[in-house]
Amino acid sequence: MQPLFSPVMKIDLAVTGQGAVSPAGVGVEALRGIESVPANVAYVGQPYKTWPVLRVDLKKPAFQRWQKEPRLRRASPISYFLVEAAEQALANLSASERADTGLIVAFNAGCLAYSRRFFEGIVSEGQRSASPALFPETVFNSPVSHVVSVLGLNGAAYALAGDETAWIAGLKTASVWLRQGRVKQVLVLGAEEFDPVVLDAYRSAHWLSRQNSARDFLPSEGASGLLVRQAEAGDSLIIAKAQDGLVYRSKKEASVVAGRLLRNCDPKIPYYPSARRNWFRSLEKKYSEGLTAIPGSDPNYLGEAFTASSAWRTLCAMQSLTTITPRIFVPVWGLNHQVGSLELEMRS
Amino acid sequence: MDKRIVVTGLGAVTPLGVDLATSWEALLAGRDADAPLELFDTAGYRCHRAASATLPPLPDVSGKTLSRLSRASRLAIPAARAALAQAGLLDTAGKSTCPVIPLSVSTTAGGMTFGETFLRNVLTGNRTDLLSQVSRYLPHQQVLDLQQTIGFAGPSVILANACASGANAIGHAADLISVGDADYVLTGGFEALTELVFGGFDCLQATSVDRCRPFDLHRSGLLLGEAAAFLVLESEEHALRRGAKPICELSGYGHTTDFFHLTQPQPDGNALVEAMQRATTQARISPAQIGYINAHGTATPVNDGTEAKAYVSFLGNSLGQTRISSTKAAIGHTLGAAGAIEALFAIQALSTGHLPPQINLQTPIPEIAHALAEAGETCSHLRHVMSVNLGFGGSNAALVFSSYEN
Repeated sequence: MQPLFSPVMKIDLAVTGQGAVSPAGVGVEALRGIESVPANVAYVGQPYKTWPVLRVDLKKPAFQRWQKEPRLRRASPISYFLVEAAEQALANLSASERADTGLIVAFNAGCLAYSRRFFEGIVSEGQRSASPALFPETVFNSPVSHVVSVLGLNGAAYALAGDETAWIAGLKTASVWLRQGRVKQVLVLGAEEFDPVVLDAYRSAHWLSRQNSARDFLPSEGASGLLVRQAEAGDSLIIAKAQDGLVYRSKKEASVVAGRLLRNCDPKIPYYPSARRNWFRSLEKKYSEGLTAIPGSDPNYLGEAFTASSAWRTLCAMQSLTTITPRIFVPVWGLNHQVGSLELEMRS
Repeated sequence: MDKRIVVTGLGAVTPLGVDLATSWEALLAGRDADAPLELFDTAGYRCHRAASATLPPLPDVSGKTLSRLSRASRLAIPAARAALAQAGLLDTAGKSTCPVIPLSVSTTAGGMTFGETFLRNVLTGNRTDLLSQVSRYLPHQQVLDLQQTIGFAGPSVILANACASGANAIGHAADLISVGDADYVLTGGFEALTELVFGGFDCLQATSVDRCRPFDLHRSGLLLGEAAAFLVLESEEHALRRGAKPICELSGYGHTTDFFHLTQPQPDGNALVEAMQRATTQARISPAQIGYINAHGTATPVNDGTEAKAYVSFLGNSLGQTRISSTKAAIGHTLGAAGAIEALFAIQALSTGHLPPQINLQTPIPEIAHALAEAGETCSHLRHVMSVNLGFGGSNAALVFSSYEN
């Protein structure tokens, strides 16, 4: 068994901006509205079956404003999700402040739609048909480059890869840059896009169900993020601590690291139930005995979009911070590598 | 750097050899690994050549496990082991003596060979064994492979900043140590040749059907390659406390983002100049003190012209005293591994005084013709070297390594 690596790191990031694009809609306020919008569940087909998935509606006016951007003319949906979520989070920054803003985007599969289309061209139409318009957009950091260019950010920029926990790695990296003084603030985002090809991947992992019941995993897409800077006296919304590196290679090992993560959680701090309909649900339920789930968190299920899901859950948990519940523990369940957590605080 | 950060271990697998010493010897001898590509069918592509690596054996890994490892992992594991061994962090069975090792690694395609098999099967209606294919292509699978095979755990960061990723991963590892988040980090990059990426560069007409000729007036494109390279970075205090011998110091890291174009650098090279200036500022040295630069030098018409302008601007009158070469002519462009393997070559130059020559030159571009390293060149007084990388999306990164003096 792998040893537990659990230095819970104090990162003390003040949240000064938030942005979200999800199947529930555009904007942070929409994150809590999904249950009232059942029409967002689309049925996407393979030749012989259809499966319920949650999609972002790219026809919304919020996205149309970006279609005029030359940089985004050939871009994949993930770039539109990112630019929109980033602009929301940066809304209060001046041009000069944007120039001193770093950008970190965490991806699981990244530009999946164009990667599939590019390779499909090679397989179905031959190697001479490979598309030079598609290939550059398949690269992990292409959407990052688009955000930097369209929104005028001039600080450092990283694309990170990983499962849901890459969101934590992004926040920890932001903390490093801020402590070094590389930039004044950092925009950290998670983003994923849906492509029908993932249905075969999820089906092979037995993650999918055709029923769309209240317990079933729904593939999803979108982007979300936080603008953060080093916390100072007077800041109210804080990401206080982060933990990652609890690695597993089997469900047996996942059970061990999940148990250690939740048993190390201070029982005085309520937790945000994060494993709503994925395979960590039973482990979260099992090991959260003795812990208190924050009230009112239950209705929101935005589907599974890896790093974007981690960001949505963090934002939703943040909305639950009150003077009565000033601290919340957010488990981050990586579906194929590791688990981790964040601790959020509201400071008066 | 807030703290002194030292390099205590190096390891590599390249198209020139299964370890760093063999690769370095071949590099200094002016050999290249340009050969017909046999890993997949290239019949319909413009280009049919690449720099492929020979996979080192992994005798301690069972046949079943070996069949599950991606080509990227097969390259990464021996390179990481070699770095840990030199740092004194590996036992005789090839296992880590530290249960926890933070990782900062880079790649652009991860285990894409498995992803391609998955896609090909799905697209042709073959839905058998998809899970094993799809679960092994994502980059965190190679991290898991490293952790399991070598026997350690811990936090990991996977940088995917295209062709500058390797330098970013090393720079990030240094940042982690600098702020006190880690005492030591295993860092580096890996990349295996895959058809999706080969087809991509081929359709962009970025690959050469001639020789790869960095910084030549008649350069016509890059040679794709594959490699893995790793370093062990430690705080000086940590290294000395455990009796490790520093190879050199990582003294500076600079990175910038150029938003001129998705696939082309700003023609004046200013973003790259800024990255190099940030690195030398952090190292507290002037550009003139850099003795050797391992350049990005892809041999594409756009990159090399811009890069040469950046060196002219950055080095000023010291251009010529500072020697420059691109080792991509010998090992190809290894994308996510490029920044790591080229950093290792720069460190080798610093340690030995021998400079990798700029091979395949016919007519050097005039801006930096007198600065390009020649065969057999040595420099006995090298104190500082630099490794420079640029990538799709406008990533620019520069690392400065300096001789270690107690």
